[in-house]
Amino acid sequence: MNQWKDTFRMLEKDVRLELRQKTSIAGITLYVVSTAFVVMFAFKGNMDVRSWVAVFWIIALFSATSAATRSFTKEATTQFYYMKFLVSPLSLILSKIIYNTLLITLLNLVGWLVMTLFFGSLIYNLNIFFLAVVLGSLGLANIFTLLSSISARTQNPVLLSIMGFPIIIPLISLLIKLSFLSGVTVGFEKDKYIVIGGLLVLNLIIVILSVVLFPYLWRD
Amino acid sequence: MEKNTFSGIKHWWWKVLCMACLLYTVVMGIYSDIPKLNILEQSIRNLFFHVPMWFGMIFMTLTSVIYGMLYLNKGQIKYDVISSQLVTVGFIFGLLGLMTGSIWARVTWGAWWSFSEVKLNASAAGVLTYAAYFILRSSFEDDEKKARFSAVYNIFAFVMFFVFIMVIPRLDVGSLHPGNGGNPGFSAYDLDNRLRIVFYPAVIGWTLMGGWITQLMIRSKFLERKKIGLE
Repeated sequence: MNQWKDTFRMLEKDVRLELRQKTSIAGITLYVVSTAFVVMFAFKGNMDVRSWVAVFWIIALFSATSAATRSFTKEATTQFYYMKFLVSPLSLILSKIIYNTLLITLLNLVGWLVMTLFFGSLIYNLNIFFLAVVLGSLGLANIFTLLSSISARTQNPVLLSIMGFPIIIPLISLLIKLSFLSGVTVGFEKDKYIVIGGLLVLNLIIVILSVVLFPYLWRD
Repeated sequence: MEKNTFSGIKHWWWKVLCMACLLYTVVMGIYSDIPKLNILEQSIRNLFFHVPMWFGMIFMTLTSVIYGMLYLNKGQIKYDVISSQLVTVGFIFGLLGLMTGSIWARVTWGAWWSFSEVKLNASAAGVLTYAAYFILRSSFEDDEKKARFSAVYNIFAFVMFFVFIMVIPRLDVGSLHPGNGGNPGFSAYDLDNRLRIVFYPAVIGWTLMGGWITQLMIRSKFLERKKIGLE
């Protein structure tokens, strides 16, 4: 019971800090918008569904990386012993995963809005695509939270990307497949369910791995 | 000291088995009788050199994950030495697998690399994942921290890699690899006895050779640590 209370207290702390210091969240949002803007210049406004989906997920990948890099910056350095004394590793990792999921979902929704503004809505089945965005944000947040707790303990800022990008490929390929299917007008019902099931199972595997492995990282 | 001379080599039988298997593989891999298949033709002999590399890589990385788990449980640095050397050899096997596959693909598919090919991309991602493992290890100076963090990453990466090579190709439409999507190849009905009698010894031989190389690397690592006074 106490675990859950701690988790939500940590989550509340993170959200409150973010809202108090609005520059970082505004910075990442601007990052999404300006990346989409650069892409618009590259494509000159014309795009087919496949490129739309690919560009959307690449922007999502990069914004998720820069959002998740910050998740353990304070906890892994100055506040390390304080946090270790205060909460259990389980509460800490769960609160960070939930927080990153919320943040990355928000960023991806902004990205979706901007992409629709610049290139028009090429997605036919909006419900399925929304599901893809939510499941994708959950997966990105899951993977990058655990990896950022590793990279926060090193002095190597690119480590998160080089560890994360090869590992993220299974997730991204499922997401691109589902998004592409959501752009197709009819059919492929069975394929959609298989991919959604695959995404759910993948997310479950990553959460279990994070919860099992994080206590080993959270020592000195 | 007497134990370290040649007559005192422990468990020599599997090294002899390894040499015998590899000698047999190299000779029979070039001279044996093969079934005639369209497109593949003589290039089917790559089965004895390319495919065992992946078996070897999976074997090495799986064993390294087991040693990583042992390290996390017991906290003894020897498990980390073993685990990291296994990853090194597995990585080399992965590179060799990519190279032999690429040369073969140039002959058979007409291109060094095919981007629509699921298995090829999965294996390249696996090699990249383990390349990141070495960067991660070099980012730590403290031995204990290096061991702990790389063991965690190793376990996480292996599970994701496994998902990638086992699950994703089954969700996708087709692979260009022989035996997939109607391509002629060495699937169940094609892998006849003429191929089998060379293929199985090849897998055993190459995997044992990987184990042998790893054993030597682990020993030299231990000696290195002893020399600088860590053990």
